Amino acid sequence: MQLLNTLLIGITAGSIYALMAIAFVLVWRSTRVVNFAQAGMALLSTYFGYEAVSRIGSFWVALPVAMIGGALFAALVELVLMRLLVKHASSGPIAGVAPIIATLGLLGVIRSVVSMIWGGQDLRIVAPISNNGFTINGSTLVFSPLKLLILVVVAVLLIMLTILFQKTNLGLALRASAHAPEIARLSGVRVDAVRTLGWALAGAAGAVAGLFQTVNGNGNISPDSIEFSLLLVSGFIAAVIGGLDSLLGAVLGGLFLGLTISFVLMYVGGGFFFITPFVILLLVLFIRPQGIIGVKAGRRA
Amino acid sequence: MKAMNRRKLITASAVLAVVGLAATALPAQAAEVGVSSTEIKLGMTLPMTGTASLGYNKIPGAAKAYFDYLNANGGINGRKVTLVVKDDRYVPTEAVSKTNELILKDKVMALMAPLGTANVKAVASSVNPARRGVPVLFVNTGFSGFADTKKYPTTYTVLPSYVMEAKIMGQYIKENFVGKKIGLLYQDDDFGTDALAGFKTAGVDFAVKVAYASGSQGAAAAAGWITKFKAAEADVVILFGVSSATSAMLGTAAQLKYAPQWMLGSVGGDATTIKLTGVPAGVLYNAIGFSPVPATTDMKDEYVKLFSDIYAKAVPGSAFDLNVLLGMNTAFMTAQALKAAGQNPTRKSLMAAIDSKGATFANSALVPAGYSATSHVGLTGYWVGKYAPTGDLAPIGGTYVTYTTDSGSGPVVKSTYKRPAMPAKGLPN
Amino acid sequence: MHKSKKESTHLPLFIFGGVVLYFLSGMVDELRVYQGASIAVFVIAISSIILLTGYSGQVSLGHGALMAVGAYAAAVLRIEFNAPIILCFVAAVLAAAVGGALLGAAAARLSGPYLAGTTLALAVGLPSLANQFAVLGGEQGLGFDVGFPPLSLGEDFTQYKWFFWIAGLAALISIWSVRNILNSAYGRSWRAGRGHEVAAQLAGINTARSKVLAFTISAGIAGLAGALLAMTIGTVSPSAFPLALSFSLLTGAVLSGITTLGGVIIGAVVLVAIPEIADVVAHRLGSSESVTTNLPGLIVSGLLILTVLFVPNGPVEQHRARKAKHEAVHSSSKK
Repeated sequence: MQLLNTLLIGITAGSIYALMAIAFVLVWRSTRVVNFAQAGMALLSTYFGYEAVSRIGSFWVALPVAMIGGALFAALVELVLMRLLVKHASSGPIAGVAPIIATLGLLGVIRSVVSMIWGGQDLRIVAPISNNGFTINGSTLVFSPLKLLILVVVAVLLIMLTILFQKTNLGLALRASAHAPEIARLSGVRVDAVRTLGWALAGAAGAVAGLFQTVNGNGNISPDSIEFSLLLVSGFIAAVIGGLDSLLGAVLGGLFLGLTISFVLMYVGGGFFFITPFVILLLVLFIRPQGIIGVKAGRRA
Repeated sequence: MKAMNRRKLITASAVLAVVGLAATALPAQAAEVGVSSTEIKLGMTLPMTGTASLGYNKIPGAAKAYFDYLNANGGINGRKVTLVVKDDRYVPTEAVSKTNELILKDKVMALMAPLGTANVKAVASSVNPARRGVPVLFVNTGFSGFADTKKYPTTYTVLPSYVMEAKIMGQYIKENFVGKKIGLLYQDDDFGTDALAGFKTAGVDFAVKVAYASGSQGAAAAAGWITKFKAAEADVVILFGVSSATSAMLGTAAQLKYAPQWMLGSVGGDATTIKLTGVPAGVLYNAIGFSPVPATTDMKDEYVKLFSDIYAKAVPGSAFDLNVLLGMNTAFMTAQALKAAGQNPTRKSLMAAIDSKGATFANSALVPAGYSATSHVGLTGYWVGKYAPTGDLAPIGGTYVTYTTDSGSGPVVKSTYKRPAMPAKGLPN
Repeated sequence: MHKSKKESTHLPLFIFGGVVLYFLSGMVDELRVYQGASIAVFVIAISSIILLTGYSGQVSLGHGALMAVGAYAAAVLRIEFNAPIILCFVAAVLAAAVGGALLGAAAARLSGPYLAGTTLALAVGLPSLANQFAVLGGEQGLGFDVGFPPLSLGEDFTQYKWFFWIAGLAALISIWSVRNILNSAYGRSWRAGRGHEVAAQLAGINTARSKVLAFTISAGIAGLAGALLAMTIGTVSPSAFPLALSFSLLTGAVLSGITTLGGVIIGAVVLVAIPEIADVVAHRLGSSESVTTNLPGLIVSGLLILTVLFVPNGPVEQHRARKAKHEAVHSSSKK
């Protein structure tokens, strides 16, 4: 029973990390940038969702509103910030570090602005369906309709995105723009537009992660909540574990991280909560430096 | 060429620094630092942003609400009380630099209610308010170590220590839950260590103890805790954690339909905060809770009525919870200390006033304060209550039954303290 | 005109710097002296990032954790063995260097974002380990007392001035050492390996070993900074080394110009001064509580973005590049 509960806890938490990881991978695959502001964007999108819920009253309306809002904001960031970055800071030793710094700065800006606008109030989003556990044979599981919904949504998103990337021309254009932009341009692909689209998709994914993280917790939204700090760090680590190049890897990384943390919390002790991601990361990267499903950087002649 | 540039750079930096220092020259203050003929300046550091700030960031608004009310009614002997608040994000380095600013730049008379054990300790060893003679009033932490007057000669506590609270809980358990299995959820740092010490003195044997890493409290972790308590078949589960841990635990327990006899520590036990996180009021029903000040919903209490009125006017739309009540209470006690410090208060006279009269300062607490020439310990006890069907804490049987003890090995006794009436209009007399 | 192959160590320059600092500390008030000590700490910490990221091309989001290792080593040595302060600082450097060597060895095969992720996880996880071992003091931390200034310096010599002297001296020694390391063969091999690993290997440089060495030295320097940080606040606790500290170090390095040591003091001064200036600005603007509380964070983050966008290689490098261009134009026109 304890084992089953540990598994369920791990899978649910892991699926939300997976959503965040998907967002990181989407940005990486389309623009080769690690976007540390991803969690900030997810936070902002969650507030969009909150505004929708408080005005219209339905979570199911809030979800697409948050996704669209998140997508638009992410596209805006790519258009303004990232283009400027490429123009000014794409050569020299700063090139590797610049996007990381810029997105960290953006994270701080988003957090401050969100705090200024919505801070200090006690805002909540109520879950659309029950979060009370299923009862089987008299004992209640750590698994509820809400958690089932989260798993289903993650699976659906994963399938849709994979189809997009593997089976459509748009997906081909996305992949080409990231790996060989010049050749893609020569083939007529509008590389810049495609890159913005990659960011928009990531923004939408992040929005879903933010909303679910909120309702799966206690429903409170706050720029200072522990939930969002966890989202930032765990999402990125999950993406790295899975190998930044693969959406499936992101999901596997998220689940793996969620499960491992859950087992450690249950069987080892609460004090190791924070060091566990580091240990996992080190182990995985030791065996496979490119992550579980990552692609090894080919040798260039 | 390079050497010239480098020299220029260093010289430029030096010149800039000297110019900077000239710009920071401040006019000299007459009389005592922080006291002018029209104003008394106090300083506070606490987390206003960041993950540790949840709930606490209401305290400055609460304290300022009381001080504004006080100033509108004549202030302290004609002087306005101003509170300068700085955000330390719960990081000790920032607590130190912000406190440096308060003492050296803003030149406050005293520090009021700094928050967090690690931060108060860092300030004590680095800024060293003791050596500078700066009073550190009513620290916002229950760590028992701050009562040590040799180490912290200018520091005064106000909250009952975690050791006291654990001892009182232990006593209540021994009186009411004989033979039952007890479980404990605690934070794996100084907060928890103090609690464990108190329970040990009280002689409580735990069937199961679960430690959580501060910062890891969330619904996912809570499910794990519950599994452990279920496995140990705990009848009574003590939640000696912060608000976020307590609400995560209760919320998840509701989803899992786990309902032992809950016992909530005062730090995480504020019903308003818990309910705001979505925990159904029914979960709290019949849980046991402790508080040194009256229930925040007890409108029959004259302090609660006055303070909530003042707060509602000053910060409309914000809920009156335990953080607000304690913040205003501390401001109220500080105001009385300032008044008792005399017509021309100094840092020394302020501390002397607390030493000699602190135990008789009017304040909303239902337990006595222990200030004296040899003790800087504030409140020393709690009353025991049960959460009503609405989820608010109310005294068992309707009357407040209070217990007091110390942070050492002294016994837990039922208190006969009768709180004196509130001075007129809630202003120091 | 040829420059001599061997760059001078510029020792007289650093001694001059020391003299300037000595006079400064006598003239400014205590708050500035304390800030001076903080600036010195940041100078050391930022230089470790410049070495690792600017020269060796490895991104670390976890130097806060390495600072913590140094700080705890120094504190434990002081408390358990009452060791003299110099020994504590040496222990800090060694302990952090060992940590850096281990981390570097583990990370030698990792690149870019994978390394960033690993160091991020370390920054989050390592300080919290202190709660697991009683000797490390838990959340409330350990005290770290460097003792009072010697009486020979006079009665008025404040504790903060003592901190400033110690930190300032450490900063001067540290920068001088780092500068010489960067100008040595090791520094050249790092720059060669950075971004052109195959070419460097063909030239005979053992890039893996060179990367680990960079990590080790960088970590040792960070450890020293950590111990000095502990000195200034008098305690060591996990909350003194949050993730934000690691981000701040990277910020300071970028503001200074991550590829050169010359501007390191700029980043350090900005990190210490900006929050205070932002505080003043916020209060000047008045307005609501939520604005004044969040404005400083907004200003710092905004400054970061602007710097990366418009002065990406740092002000010093920008200045040099402009000068070089200027000279090239002039010398060609002279022909």
